[in-house]
Amino acid sequence: MTVTGKDAGPAPHGRAGRRWLIGSTAAVTILIAGLPWAAHGRLPGRLATHWSGGGTPDGSMPLWAASLFPTGIWLLAALAGSVPWRRSRPTARPWRAMALAPTGAVLLGAQVSVVRANLGHADWHDARLPVLWAVPLVALAAAAGVLAWRLTTRSTAAPADSAPALDLPEGERLVWFSRTANPWLSLLAAVTGLIAAAALVALAAGLADPAGLWPVSAVCAVTSLAGAAFSSVRATVSETGLEVSFGPLGWPARRWAPAAIESARAERRLPSQVGGWGYRLSGLGTTVMLRAGDCLVIRPRGRRADFAVSVDDAERGAALLNALRTRRPR
Amino acid sequence: MLLHLDKADTRPLHEQIASAVRRAVAEGECRAGDRLPSARDLSSALDVNVNTVLRGLRELRDEGLLEFRRGRGITVAEGAARRSGLQIRVRELVAEASRLGYSRTDLIDMIRGLA
Repeated sequence: MTVTGKDAGPAPHGRAGRRWLIGSTAAVTILIAGLPWAAHGRLPGRLATHWSGGGTPDGSMPLWAASLFPTGIWLLAALAGSVPWRRSRPTARPWRAMALAPTGAVLLGAQVSVVRANLGHADWHDARLPVLWAVPLVALAAAAGVLAWRLTTRSTAAPADSAPALDLPEGERLVWFSRTANPWLSLLAAVTGLIAAAALVALAAGLADPAGLWPVSAVCAVTSLAGAAFSSVRATVSETGLEVSFGPLGWPARRWAPAAIESARAERRLPSQVGGWGYRLSGLGTTVMLRAGDCLVIRPRGRRADFAVSVDDAERGAALLNALRTRRPR
Repeated sequence: MLLHLDKADTRPLHEQIASAVRRAVAEGECRAGDRLPSARDLSSALDVNVNTVLRGLRELRDEGLLEFRRGRGITVAEGAARRSGLQIRVRELVAEASRLGYSRTDLIDMIRGLA
């Protein structure tokens, strides 16, 4: 089945991208609406469209409704996704494709499952759904999402040629440090850490029902660790390249040698552009977002997406990185 | 914060680190109350032993430019920008005097004689 490729077109800007989007939306529409009609000779008058937990059907629709109902949902989703929202910036666009691709995959997969379950039965009460029918559907949706992401991020703007560069005096070594902290994330880490610890104590003392408390404790512990790791970030540019380390322990850390960086620049970014605070993957690539404002953005060599980290004085960090990158090793 | 280090400098490393941080403070790279990168971060970025870095930073603490605080790391002291500027000029004066053959005592005498 060629579902995954359908609306995962290249970035939906430009005429080619729009044509791709319209074409794939139309193709999915035709498939969803047409499938029941194409097989109507071997289908019962009413189609089983809903199954209870045991696999016995408990809901049905006439053939026309089984065709039009999912088609309507799909068209509504496609419409919502293609309306040029007033506030959306070009950077937000990959999210549309990433939302539409799995939606289309799930609707189309569900329609195929419904038709297949009803195929060859005289009465909709006999239709059975395969036990693990949801597994391929979820896999399909995930594959469609990943494919859409990969295809849409390919066309991120090429790194600007006008990248800043610092004048690197001969015989001098320059090292740049910057650090950002987000006290709210520290607070979040502290509060959730306390809840996790209290829950663990309550569990150990047998004060509460373990079934209810374990998940609370686990979720709070994970939130606390994540909050602590992203409560502060440090960026260092030296002759060994760029190092970005997280949290009070400086771990985990990411490193790039000067030769592994294609270009560096400073850019203003907002949490609303990258989907929130913390370690964010979006149409702009990876962003470590601790506060709105200046970000040091690099394009690693051989990668299509940028890596950005929100630190002060990013302009000079990028300039030093560019100077180190273009300087010939001794 | 941008640190400058001279590759041709023949002074001991801890002095070079102290003067690099002194210059950064004097040039307003970091203001009073700002946190300095940790000694460990400085050591790995400058490729210098941690103890050497700490020695340099301790010199600056003794000059009143830095404050070491438990739990808050190393911060720039109040009024450090003015002080470091003066420190740099005093050092230049001492170096120039020794190049011309004057000892520190000679220099002190000269300053006393100004009054």
